[in-house]
Amino acid sequence: MNRSKDTERKRGNKFGFWFFQAAVRIFGLSAAYGFLYFVCLYYLLVDRAAVASTMAYIKKRFRTYNILQRILGVYRIFINQGKILIDRYYMISGMGTFDHELHGYEQLNQMMSTSDKGFIILTAHVGSWQVTMNFLKQLNKTVYLLMRPEDNAAIRDFLGIRSDQNNIRIILSHNFLSGVIEAVQALKQGNIVSIMGDRGYGSKSVEVSFLGETVKLPYGAFKIAAAVQCPLIVLLSAKISATKYSIDASHILHPDYNSRANKDAEIKEYVQKFAYILEEYADRYPFQWFVFHDIWGKD
Amino acid sequence: MAKNKDEELTQIRKDLKEILVKELSLEDIVPENIRDDDILFGEGLGLDSLDAVEIVVLLQRNFGIEVSDMAKGKEILYSIDTLSRYIYENRKQLS
Repeated sequence: MNRSKDTERKRGNKFGFWFFQAAVRIFGLSAAYGFLYFVCLYYLLVDRAAVASTMAYIKKRFRTYNILQRILGVYRIFINQGKILIDRYYMISGMGTFDHELHGYEQLNQMMSTSDKGFIILTAHVGSWQVTMNFLKQLNKTVYLLMRPEDNAAIRDFLGIRSDQNNIRIILSHNFLSGVIEAVQALKQGNIVSIMGDRGYGSKSVEVSFLGETVKLPYGAFKIAAAVQCPLIVLLSAKISATKYSIDASHILHPDYNSRANKDAEIKEYVQKFAYILEEYADRYPFQWFVFHDIWGKD
Repeated sequence: MAKNKDEELTQIRKDLKEILVKELSLEDIVPENIRDDDILFGEGLGLDSLDAVEIVVLLQRNFGIEVSDMAKGKEILYSIDTLSRYIYENRKQLS
């Protein structure tokens, strides 16, 4: 975890953010994107941790790539992350918005209009989290983000949460019993609980297949959904052009188990389904994978 | 009256132990071997946060009550005895 923090600090120091914010204001979005090609080249050369963790993904995703193609793949991911961070500032500062292409919105809307039940949103470190959260803000339900305390201030700033007046709330995972009781109560009251599904940060996880090898993915969200008997929606976004994002809410899962004795194995099947959904995403948008952690590693 | 309360609490503890073993699939644990002062999470029964999800659900399903006061959640879910007393107090309010 500390290594990831160092990685983020190296690629996102205050001067860097200031520079790109100024570039967007003075030269516009396209020009700011242009500067990224030089800045990301620098990080490609100096940020060994980010290169190593991203390379782990590139090697799995593109098994026939040679070394040069792999390095270019890492570079493309850095560029795309930079563009999405610039877009985030562009949106939060009110300078403009982006078009959206929604997938699964109708069935999501129908589900919300026909049931008072809450549901879980499962997200991942892909595409633009800002865009997915903006989408959630538009739903007429309170959204609870289950997150680590160390991410709290950053996330509040990231989403522009200035007070509890909007419909986004935070449940800290260091609360009693990792905040799960609060999450359960929020769901029972018909609200949405958003949980990151691709990294557990030490929480309970299960081994599943992803891009041909075994990884550990957290299963807490699925177990909560099964216990509370609520749907779990995988929400992913992707930047599909300079001015447009795709938001996909079409994957709705209903975790459940028929046998209490076998429930762990049955829950694992749902986690595997999530892994297959992430594989589909990696197949379609291979250079918007921003996990920056070797999930196939031993830690 | 006190005897009735004791009897009721004893029954609740017994029921709770059986329900926990069954609903949480605690295969290596026999309800009769669970002590009243056994801690639920960490030591004692060794339950974790995801088991807490199931406890919240089974409380509603089996006893018709909820853990609504988060501030007291830690006290309520401390041990078999504290949870049993919570069940006793809240069932009394419902009946």
